[in-house]
Amino acid sequence: MTEAIWIVAEREPARINPVTFQLITKAKAIAKGKKVVVVLLEAPDQQFEQAISEYGPDEILLGQNVAYAQASDEVMAGALTTLAREYQPNAVLFGATPLGRSIAPRVQAALQTGLTADCLDFFYEDDLLVQVKPSYGDNVMCEITCPDRRPQMASVRPNTFAAEKVAGAMPAITPVEVAQTTGPQGRVVDETVRVSHATGIASANKVLALGRGAATPADIANAREIASRLGASVGVSRPLTDLPDFTVEQQIGQSGTTIAPDFLLNLGVSGATQFIVGMTQAKLVVSVNRDAQAPIFAQSDYTFTGDAAAFITALKQRMN
Amino acid sequence: MKIVVCIKQVPESNNVKFDPVTHNLMRGGMSGRINPFDKNAIEAALRLRDAVGGEVALLSMGPDSTAEILRDGLAMGADSAYLLSSRAFAGADTLSTGYVLAQAVRQIGNVDLTLLGRQAVDADTGQVGPIMAVNLNQPQATYATQLTANGNQLTVVRDLDSLTQTVELPLPAVITVRAEANTPRYETPLHIQQSFEKQVTIWRDTDLDLDPEKLGQKGSPTVVRKVYAPEAKTRAQTALPSEPAAAVDQLLVIMQQHGLI
Repeated sequence: MTEAIWIVAEREPARINPVTFQLITKAKAIAKGKKVVVVLLEAPDQQFEQAISEYGPDEILLGQNVAYAQASDEVMAGALTTLAREYQPNAVLFGATPLGRSIAPRVQAALQTGLTADCLDFFYEDDLLVQVKPSYGDNVMCEITCPDRRPQMASVRPNTFAAEKVAGAMPAITPVEVAQTTGPQGRVVDETVRVSHATGIASANKVLALGRGAATPADIANAREIASRLGASVGVSRPLTDLPDFTVEQQIGQSGTTIAPDFLLNLGVSGATQFIVGMTQAKLVVSVNRDAQAPIFAQSDYTFTGDAAAFITALKQRMN
Repeated sequence: MKIVVCIKQVPESNNVKFDPVTHNLMRGGMSGRINPFDKNAIEAALRLRDAVGGEVALLSMGPDSTAEILRDGLAMGADSAYLLSSRAFAGADTLSTGYVLAQAVRQIGNVDLTLLGRQAVDADTGQVGPIMAVNLNQPQATYATQLTANGNQLTVVRDLDSLTQTVELPLPAVITVRAEANTPRYETPLHIQQSFEKQVTIWRDTDLDLDPEKLGQKGSPTVVRKVYAPEAKTRAQTALPSEPAAAVDQLLVIMQQHGLI
């Protein structure tokens, strides 16, 4: 039997979390002959296998059960543990979302193997999955391996890799039956999708990021006007989350949201490490800062050394 | 309700440095502090105790100096503290740590609820709580923002970023607590004074019922094979014109070239 890399599909009430698609694309790139298999546990009427198929995994293990519509961590982890014991995958990958990071360690403990949290990269050396993870608030990188036990497990930070659809992909869909998890378990009584801001930065194609150098009420109002003209979302660096205008939901960075837009305009953002790690996947980066030595410039395709307010004003005038 | 709160000592600062010659992590001279999220877990425990009665015990694994953070927790108002300190525990990863802490919870006995912070700010895994739950054969609720006791069950609201989930847990259970759950109380002079009269029980590996194969490095499946400073990749850094109006004009041209407008 060909060994498999498993990706545990993260099911939200009405969609598959995009990190699942990102993991499929990344796993295919590093698979070296291993099969890329998505494990999808869903309610029978959800049919998320179609969306997953477009990203071209080799196979989808599909468990359908009404119990998976609103399942506790115990039910999800129990089913995944049973399947892992039966199919013996080489590696099991989760999105490092709150849900993924809750279920993965239950599976890990049941299987008595290693699990690396919040990886930023992973690759195979022969049969060994080398997992690259930050530590100490992303100030240190560690390479972690699990030499003697299988599966090799990791959760991977969302928006670290691009997801790419595969034209004409037709993965094998294998139905699986899993016995109901027994033992003490929670009962999910309500699930509410959090109303994400219409200006959600995680999936935005264009982002204007404001930092301490562009934090006056006029800067914020002007930036919002420019953003609406460009069809961009407004994000902020951590200090600005203290302003009444913003919360951690708009925060770019390690303790906020990792973004991967086509265009990022940093206005008055100095570029602390914790901000930088949240934006390295942005495609075109333009930064404006008064300080020519600001670390943000090293991460920028184009730079403007000068007053952010003046730049914002000029941009707004030019767009009118 | 008998509540155990697991706490961890973490470095005072995440600004770690590398020895330029050996490339080793230089942590010397850094003092420790209680993991910030653990204070939210202690606060949640104290509020539950205030609401329904019972007791709050603190539990930590680490060197003997970890007693300091246990004192901090006692000064917040916890009733007792347990320190698991042994060379046999050195090098434990999350799997081994979760196992040892779970065995200590068993030894404390009749524990209704185990609380932890959502994750420690040094390694940022958040795995120990769920691992303990499996070892104790208990249900869990991670990333909790609200905990309400009613009888022999607990209603917990979980903030899962994209989703708010409400879950009813039969007790005993394991819960990890988000910072959004509460504002931890300050240590009061009275509680600080009282904390020195409260007992910190120290357990070595031989004081617990432990499988030696599951301890320390031997009991840890993961290996940290390399630690290094993140490599700073840099971009082109092409300067735009120094006049704002000219810079903005060029920016718009660049955006057009990239099909962005």
